Amino acid sequence: MLKMTSVSGSEDLFDCILMADDRFHGEGYQEGFKEGTRQGMVEGKNHGATHGAKLSAEVSFYYGFAFTWKCLLQNNTDAKARKRLKTLESLTGFIQRFPHYDPQYENLQEDMEKVRAKFRQVCSLLNVPTDFREYVTASEGMSF
Amino acid sequence: MKEVLNKLHKFSAHPDSRCWYVAWNPSGTLLASCGGDRAIRIWKKEGDSWECQNVLSEGHQRTVRKVAWSPCGNYLASASFDATTCIWAKKGDDFECLTVLEGHENEVKCVAWAPSGSLLATCSRDKSVWVWEVDEEEEYECVSVVNAHTQDVKHVVWHPTQELLASASYDNTVRLYREEDDDWVCKATMEGHTSTVWSLAFDPSGQRLVSCSDDRTVKIWKECHSGEGDNSTDTVWKCVCTLSGFHGRTVYDVAWCRLTGALATACGDDGVRVFKEDENSDPDQTTFSLVVHAAKAHNQDVNCVAWHPKEAGLLASCSDDGEIAIWSYQAEA
Repeated sequence: MLKMTSVSGSEDLFDCILMADDRFHGEGYQEGFKEGTRQGMVEGKNHGATHGAKLSAEVSFYYGFAFTWKCLLQNNTDAKARKRLKTLESLTGFIQRFPHYDPQYENLQEDMEKVRAKFRQVCSLLNVPTDFREYVTASEGMSF
Repeated sequence: MKEVLNKLHKFSAHPDSRCWYVAWNPSGTLLASCGGDRAIRIWKKEGDSWECQNVLSEGHQRTVRKVAWSPCGNYLASASFDATTCIWAKKGDDFECLTVLEGHENEVKCVAWAPSGSLLATCSRDKSVWVWEVDEEEEYECVSVVNAHTQDVKHVVWHPTQELLASASYDNTVRLYREEDDDWVCKATMEGHTSTVWSLAFDPSGQRLVSCSDDRTVKIWKECHSGEGDNSTDTVWKCVCTLSGFHGRTVYDVAWCRLTGALATACGDDGVRVFKEDENSDPDQTTFSLVVHAAKAHNQDVNCVAWHPKEAGLLASCSDDGEIAIWSYQAEA
């Protein structure tokens, strides 16, 4: 309290008042930044989880589709069935090599396009119409 | 010596509709056209006039955008906005639909046969390029789907001798593809146009490729062999010539004559132009000169130009006004 009455103390006091605007502004910014970061993390996590789930659902759909057709065709020995099986193998190969546990995988979009292209070729070879919109277009047009 | 482009014939091919594309059969006896009226017409020169020999109107539900003859001349492929590609077999003077290729999600923009006749390429607004294989039983199977472009693919063309495929797109790029491990893979990307690339053509030797664009320019690309890394299968194609300032609007098509080496362009300003390579020009920095400009070649946008495969200087063009014109390009003494 002694200090407060000193000359320098009264200067501090005036400084305190004069600088309050700046100080509160700074503190407010820090608090807001923390809260924003927290909220951003939550939102980002939800967004990532939703889109990740859609992408996974799409890839899994292709995998299940390919696996089923492989089972259906595996006992056929004619050239046509062999060709189809080879293409199915190629599709399942793509999916097995797909690093779906790495969310930061840089070629994700590119590899996804390859899987989609292979799936369309498979459908064409099997004479299956590619109208699986409810499964496969869900994760298209991903926006960040 | 002055070069001229004389109009020999002009006839209405797709009345009240657009004529999108014309293609000569390999022997040059027939001209196929397609249009917004969903029909394909086969034209034959009878005496001094062009007569419609066949109308193939049953195959497609929407606009037929392009037609292509197989190298043997016995088949015709048609690409349509109804998302399908039809293969027509020529039986004497008639045509019958042999098969319908389905798979594209929406509008098929172009179809092209490989020089061997055993491969066919199609491209679509769905951004993909498909390669199909034909077996002895005339059955078509898809061998690859390539999603390399990021937008609508406008045109596909095969190299004249190799199994090398080129495509042009609304994403402003040209891409080249080769087969690798049972799949077709993009091996080169040509960037330089600042708007949609509408069409492509290889030169007679296949060493150069010409592209035309909505940016009103025509570019010539040449394969460059980099000295290092000879094992690499990736190739680099560099732009060796840009023709700018000649076209007033979008250049929709370009054709490279196999017989004379002349370039013809179809433009949105209703004009047809012919360019010729300057003699003694540096192959790595070549120059072309405009030798003829038919300003009002058609009443509306010119969509396509096609050089006759056997008769040097004979050129066909077609337009949004539904007409086809036949031209004779020659040097006037």
